[in-house]
Amino acid sequence: MHDFPPRVDAYAPTATARPDTRSPSAFLWWTLRQQPDVIAVNVLFGLLWMLPGTLSPFLLGKVIDIGILRGDLRATLGWAGLLTVVVLIGAVGGIAQHTMAVRGWLIALYGTQKLVVRKAGQLGHVLSRRLPTGEVLSISSSDSDIFGAAFEIFCRGISALFAFFLVCGLMFGTSPELGWVVLIAAPLLVGATSPVLRPLNAAQTAERTQNGELTSMATDIVSGLRILRGIGGEATFGSNYDQQSQRVRRLGVVTGTWQALAETLGVLLAGLLLVTLVWLGSHQMMAGELTVGQLISFVGYAVFMVWPLQTFFEFAQKWVRALVSARKAIALLDTELPLAEGDGVLAPAPRLRDLASGLVVEPGRYLAVVSADPEDSAALADRLGRYLPGAAPVTGEDEDLKGRAARRARAERDARRAAAAAADAEAGHATWGVEADGVDYSRLPLAELRNRIVVSDTGSQLFAGTLQTAVDPHGSHTRAQAEAALRTAAAEDVYAGLPGGWQGRIDELGRGLSGGQRQRVVLARALLLDPEILVLVEPTSAVDAHTEARIAERLPEHRRGRTTVVITASPLMLHYADEVALLEEGRVVARGSHAELLATDPRYRQVVARGMEEDE
Amino acid sequence: MADQLATSSETWRDTPPAPRVSSDLMIDRTLPPRARLQAWRLRHRLRQERAETYYAESRHPERGLPVAGNASAARFLGRLLTTRRARVAGVIAFNAAAAIAGLLVPRMLGDLVDLVSAGESAAAVVDSIILAVVGVVLVQSVLTFAARRASAVLGYDLLASAREEVVGTVLRLPLGKVEAASSGDLLTRITSDVSKMSESIRWALPQFLISIVTVLATIGALLLNSWFLALPVFVTLTVLFLATRHYLAHAMQGYITEGGTYSRINSTMTETVDGARTVEALGLAGRRIDAVDEDIEESNQAERYTMSLRNLFFIWLDISFQFPLIAVVILGTWGYSQGWVTIGQITAAAIYAQGLIEPMDRLIQVFDRLQVGMAGTTRLLGIAEMPDDRTPGEQRPEGTDLAGRDLRFAYREGTDVLHGVDLELQPGERLAVVGPSGSGKSTLGRLLAGINRPRTGEVDVGGVDVMGLPLDVLRTEVALVTQEHHVFVGTVRDNIVLARDVQLRPEEVDPAVIAALEAVDAWEWVEKLPQGLDTMLGHGRHRLTPAQAQQIALARLVVADPHTLVLDEATSLIDPRTARHLEGSMATLLDGRAVVAIAHRLHTAHDADRIAVVIDGRIAEFGSHPELLELDGEYARLWRTWRS
Repeated sequence: MHDFPPRVDAYAPTATARPDTRSPSAFLWWTLRQQPDVIAVNVLFGLLWMLPGTLSPFLLGKVIDIGILRGDLRATLGWAGLLTVVVLIGAVGGIAQHTMAVRGWLIALYGTQKLVVRKAGQLGHVLSRRLPTGEVLSISSSDSDIFGAAFEIFCRGISALFAFFLVCGLMFGTSPELGWVVLIAAPLLVGATSPVLRPLNAAQTAERTQNGELTSMATDIVSGLRILRGIGGEATFGSNYDQQSQRVRRLGVVTGTWQALAETLGVLLAGLLLVTLVWLGSHQMMAGELTVGQLISFVGYAVFMVWPLQTFFEFAQKWVRALVSARKAIALLDTELPLAEGDGVLAPAPRLRDLASGLVVEPGRYLAVVSADPEDSAALADRLGRYLPGAAPVTGEDEDLKGRAARRARAERDARRAAAAAADAEAGHATWGVEADGVDYSRLPLAELRNRIVVSDTGSQLFAGTLQTAVDPHGSHTRAQAEAALRTAAAEDVYAGLPGGWQGRIDELGRGLSGGQRQRVVLARALLLDPEILVLVEPTSAVDAHTEARIAERLPEHRRGRTTVVITASPLMLHYADEVALLEEGRVVARGSHAELLATDPRYRQVVARGMEEDE
Repeated sequence: MADQLATSSETWRDTPPAPRVSSDLMIDRTLPPRARLQAWRLRHRLRQERAETYYAESRHPERGLPVAGNASAARFLGRLLTTRRARVAGVIAFNAAAAIAGLLVPRMLGDLVDLVSAGESAAAVVDSIILAVVGVVLVQSVLTFAARRASAVLGYDLLASAREEVVGTVLRLPLGKVEAASSGDLLTRITSDVSKMSESIRWALPQFLISIVTVLATIGALLLNSWFLALPVFVTLTVLFLATRHYLAHAMQGYITEGGTYSRINSTMTETVDGARTVEALGLAGRRIDAVDEDIEESNQAERYTMSLRNLFFIWLDISFQFPLIAVVILGTWGYSQGWVTIGQITAAAIYAQGLIEPMDRLIQVFDRLQVGMAGTTRLLGIAEMPDDRTPGEQRPEGTDLAGRDLRFAYREGTDVLHGVDLELQPGERLAVVGPSGSGKSTLGRLLAGINRPRTGEVDVGGVDVMGLPLDVLRTEVALVTQEHHVFVGTVRDNIVLARDVQLRPEEVDPAVIAALEAVDAWEWVEKLPQGLDTMLGHGRHRLTPAQAQQIALARLVVADPHTLVLDEATSLIDPRTARHLEGSMATLLDGRAVVAIAHRLHTAHDADRIAVVIDGRIAEFGSHPELLELDGEYARLWRTWRS
């Protein structure tokens, strides 16, 4: 039988699983189909678990009629024994059902999370062009849980259906008249709260919105706490928070009042049902049509029947919610990689040529690129690495919209997403515009390109782990190599500052390191990877002048014999380059050594020596 | 300089680290049943140990903010409750009344059953009793409404006071700690711990009152109905008490560990999604998938632990909830045959026994949530336990000269980052501090701005120790300006008046704010905003460009009007075009003030009156730009490379 955590094999070249993403319900059924055995067992145990609820009113009635009223202790013990057996079966069934429910829930939950990380790994930089980070994360953290809940309610719903019919059979076998009363009253009881549901929901939404506002005020205070404590303003923002807190409190009381009303309606109707049953029953008893025990059984049935009906209600709600989640999941899982795969051969030490800028990268050289506009240099790095240019993900579903407006907004967003995907696919399959030894990138295998040409840009990120895994994430290098990379990046102080050295903890996103330290660890990581062609974008922008000078001096030596492109405007870095190319309006307008260009080209001087000219 | 990588060979690991989940925890399905049970016991014990360790670590974090003890959380809740005695009493009274009304119904129906089964009553009598029951049901409904509403009012009131108090505490955090702590921990506490505490205060405390009142009233009713038939309930209560105590003793650790494993999955996932491009560029997809799968394996272990805990608990719960019914039947038969109890009493006892299930079940849930809420509360109260190193005195500075002498400072005991620095700042002077990362230049800036207390020596402003000044006085003397230019959720006015929000009278605020905006060339665009100074800024409101945000930050300083500014790389994160745009505004701000500029870029140093080169926690070179070039030391060497 399937167990958790599930093995998931998807979105890899040799994948065996393929989620059905044709529609939200198709996806939900697909998640259920992953574990038919768990569903079957779950339904069965669910029935056992409900046995005491369904049978004990009946057995209790029997005890009273046959045992107690006739004073027959033997008969009582017999029926009570049966009742005990049923209770024990229920207890064991409950545990088994709970175990299986957890199993199925977690198979769905972990399975979704595993799909998300596999898809993210497959999509790489394309991911952020499709969906905002928050949306991807919410699939993993909350929608996955909703799929688990959908599984659980699906199984419980089926069990409840069986229980419902069982009790109906018992009721109509005893007294059709009272059976009808229960059958009609139970749905009324379940639905009784519906008139107050709408205002209750409205009140809850208002409270939630304002509470969200309150939380973001608190977050705001914490994010700006250095300023608040450093410059002042505690009184202003403290009292703003208090006011909002009181507003939320008042809205909470409104919600609480509606909730109290809903609960009161429940109490009232349950009480009235009980009274009706006893009233009809006692008249039937006086007429000799019903026994005391049977009447007591009916009271039990009425109490129980509310439960399967509530389960059906819950099923409808959770299924609808799961469909919404499935739609979100599909938006991610349906995304395909838009870059063409070629079968050309990338020879060792290729010479790169970027058609848009006219830049030529000679093998084995240390080339620096200077650009007046940082956006031009970022675009150049993207082209050299075969990355689609940076673009914001398509967003735009307004949570506040309801009904038709929401559907229209969603359809619009989906259309824009599809258009963006189509545009990417077109760009990814057309001629790329960068040639390696005369072969366009689009005719080369992507994996080969990624392996041999590495771009480390300003958005490069550190991952939580030890310093060793941060610098050597593949675990494929020796200590000596790692030390050399750390020295070239002038990041020895990071090592010295971490308790535990190589095994010192790096927090997520490198938090806890200063901006300059983070940048130097990123640089060390790129150097240790030792790719044939390394493109570094502003590798020292957050580093102070002293340290930058050390890096600038060591970098060419470290990369000797391999191809390096550094995009920078720092004179310290440019000083040590074999050659410098100046980019203007995205085109190469001058090439030469730093000293030559500084001496001969006024445009170059203006870009590089900014801030020093004025005082001369 | 000593080799900083000296210990490298000791800390480098040549073999991959052991998997986080040990192989003892893997399930072997091939074992015979008895061995499997033994293996499960071992796993359960290992998982329990893991939960206990995790919990203990979460209570005493190595880094970050402290956590308060359980006793102080209990005192905090107790104080919240005792300041609202009338409301608490109201909640108890209404709930008791509603519960009693609810308990009358089964009793009356039991009497009815007795009447009918005796077979001697007329239909009219039966109907009149039924009518009375309807009346009681109506009264019960009204009381239920009043009780639930009173509980909601109490819950929300408690919650509002609690969170306002927490935020108030955050706003009083010692300045040095705020500067040192990462905002992540504080942010988690203020969001997730406040929501845990909310749940517990808003839901669990009132529910606790409701449930306990209902349980007690039901037991009372059972005893009044027939003490003989009430006996089984006491057996149930004993079993429940023991089972619940065992469960709760382990559950919280289990759930906190489980919650921790999910946060870990989340943060690994966040990193992967956020850094998807890095993952692709470095070919790390496989590593990231392995990392998430390993996180999930850990989470799986935590889930299995709590599942077993629940299973072991549920079996007692199910049996002890159902036991009274069976016992009532058997005792009832005996008692009825002996004439001790009537059939109506048996009916009422059966209904009461069933009626106990719901409130007792809820009571257990309440304990569960209260525990979690308690854990959140202790973390929140921990914030308040940070000692302040500031000791405000009565002395006020005379003059504006700033001087530090023999300044030493250590973040970790025994490792000074500054080794006795002396520095005197002349009024109106511009001093640049340069030096490699980690040399202590930022620390020096923080000591000069009065944020941290030096380990030895002191910083004086106008002859008074900066650590002896109250914060609102200090702010008007020296200010630290960092790269942050956070825009708060609030009006333009709120965002600027900061330093003097208490000192200025209401009618003085607007002129001061406008003057500050004018000084930084921002009044022009602020005036054009839809609501002028009342325009709401910040997250989700009117959005400012980075340059405008920077101007707001500068305007704050103009309002604060300190005579000395410590700029910590204040402009390095702004792109060059914005920086140039701001130079004018900046110049207005700096004009006539002494400035200590901690600089990344050499041209800042070049423009300064004097330059201090800080290396390894000491001032290695000191003087004007030409003097230092003359000296031909570290600074001169760097300058030449830069200029070449």
